[in-house]
Amino acid sequence: MIINKIQIKPLNLVYIPITERLNTTMFSDFTTQKEGTLMGQPSADCPVFDRVQPTYSGYSERFKLGDRSFNRQYAHIYAVRLMQMRDILTARAKQTWGEKVPVRRLCDLQMGEQCCIVGTIFKHMELQPSILKEISEEHNLLPQPPRSKFISASDELILEDELQRIKLEGNIDTPKFVTGSVIAVFGAEKNDGKFTVDGFCVAELPPQAPRQPLSSDRFVLLASGLGLGGSGADSLLGLQLLVDLVTGQLGDLGEQSGASRISRVLLAGNLLSHSTQDKDSFNKAKYLTKKTQAGSVEAIRMLDELLVQLVASVPVDVMPGQYDPTNYTLPQQPLHRCMFPLSTVYPTLKLASNPYQADVDGVRFLGTAGQNVGDIVKYSSMDDHLEILEGTLRLRHMAPTAPDTLGCYPFYQKDPFILEDCPHVYFSGNAPTFQSKRITGPDGQEVLLVAVPDFSRTQTACLVNLRTLECEPIRFSSFTAEDDEDNEMNISH
Amino acid sequence: MGPKRRLITDTFKVVKRAKKEEKQDKEPAAPEKEKDLLELQQFDLDWRYGPCTGISRLQRWERAELYGLKPPQTVRDLLRRSGEETDYTHCLWHDYPL
Repeated sequence: MIINKIQIKPLNLVYIPITERLNTTMFSDFTTQKEGTLMGQPSADCPVFDRVQPTYSGYSERFKLGDRSFNRQYAHIYAVRLMQMRDILTARAKQTWGEKVPVRRLCDLQMGEQCCIVGTIFKHMELQPSILKEISEEHNLLPQPPRSKFISASDELILEDELQRIKLEGNIDTPKFVTGSVIAVFGAEKNDGKFTVDGFCVAELPPQAPRQPLSSDRFVLLASGLGLGGSGADSLLGLQLLVDLVTGQLGDLGEQSGASRISRVLLAGNLLSHSTQDKDSFNKAKYLTKKTQAGSVEAIRMLDELLVQLVASVPVDVMPGQYDPTNYTLPQQPLHRCMFPLSTVYPTLKLASNPYQADVDGVRFLGTAGQNVGDIVKYSSMDDHLEILEGTLRLRHMAPTAPDTLGCYPFYQKDPFILEDCPHVYFSGNAPTFQSKRITGPDGQEVLLVAVPDFSRTQTACLVNLRTLECEPIRFSSFTAEDDEDNEMNISH
Repeated sequence: MGPKRRLITDTFKVVKRAKKEEKQDKEPAAPEKEKDLLELQQFDLDWRYGPCTGISRLQRWERAELYGLKPPQTVRDLLRRSGEETDYTHCLWHDYPL
């Protein structure tokens, strides 16, 4: 039935170029329909398009957990984060405010002296949910309205170093900062014990390895939020169209030759819908839910059937996301192979961790399924996923709010979310809309930022050209994308 | 007077037997051990090397070394020399729950 629909409405594919630029090579340039190949007589010779084979090496080891010891406190992460960032920020501060700027620790701070301090931001937020507060007020607890943001005008920034903390005021934009960011501030302590900030600086982009120039155009397809097992059956049509496009079963010879240039598919989390995580088994009596099957079982089976179509034709990386059946805390470990009995036999299926890091044809990809960005949306005034993505890159930290408001494994020796080298493509999944941008760092680093949209809501995936580092959305708009949105809204709360 | 009658309520002297001295022989002399432990505790209390709870002293030492904080070499030698006893391997507050 789905196949019929594809043949009836082949023009459902809409390519949206970001900007009209000359000399750019977008995926849509390769998929122009050739005249007469679709409606003509079947020809005797069937052209075969060989799929491009990229070199690939994964570098996700630093996100793998060895021993899982949970008897440590999170103090270690903050201590290690500051240890790792202190030298970088001291150098950056000297670059910004001159070689002779005194860099002090809080315990050596002299009243009124202009100096620079390196420390971790803590944002005191009145509205931040706190379990202790809830317990202590249990007896006359007012139900709090569900909030999408936890910031208020009374928020205060506090800078912490190894020993002490000090309140910040002055030239610093409180709502934009989040807890856990390591920055350097320049200013002086005033009589009231607060530190008046004249300026601040962040670590900026880490050093970048040069990229080998590619001779031909190759693409990596990024998609996230497939949302299987959700209520919207329409997204399945879009999904099937996506699979058929990538595997070359869609369109005419021109489109098929374009599809053969897709060298890799990366699914960035939330393969399953939020609604597969029903809370019935927690709330209801056991004898009532004993015989019901978890919603994720059927959804994983569907995912396996989709994946087997893809992996037979193209290498696929599967990252877990917030709603997927793996551990909740970052870094999320790869989904287990035994969940994919059909597709796991193909060597092209790669179950990856979240965050994900890999080199595809010498292009370093780094990204997450979007939990880090979504959490910053909640605890700062920023809404734009691309802006947050750029902010975290400049902070050199992928998830500053972990472990404060974002679940995180208690590391002690290393903070794996600190960026040691600069990726070429830095992405986050499950964004409300597609966005992408090229930024250039202070040392000439070129980074493509991509906010990969939620597929089940937007029916949009995106294609990154590995040669030119450009990104283009590809939309499988079906009939009722708006109706879907309403459903999704209900599910998410 | 007949034979001495003993009552069930009579008390008896507690006789302490001298403990065997074997244990003492194996360990280093008490003052030396105390000196070692004191040095290790000083290492625990040095804030520059980060929090000390939840990880072993050796892990903390190695982390400090990794970030170029130059932890004292004598502490590492001491940790290597001394065995598996938690007095040596773990920090001052090891016995307290988290």
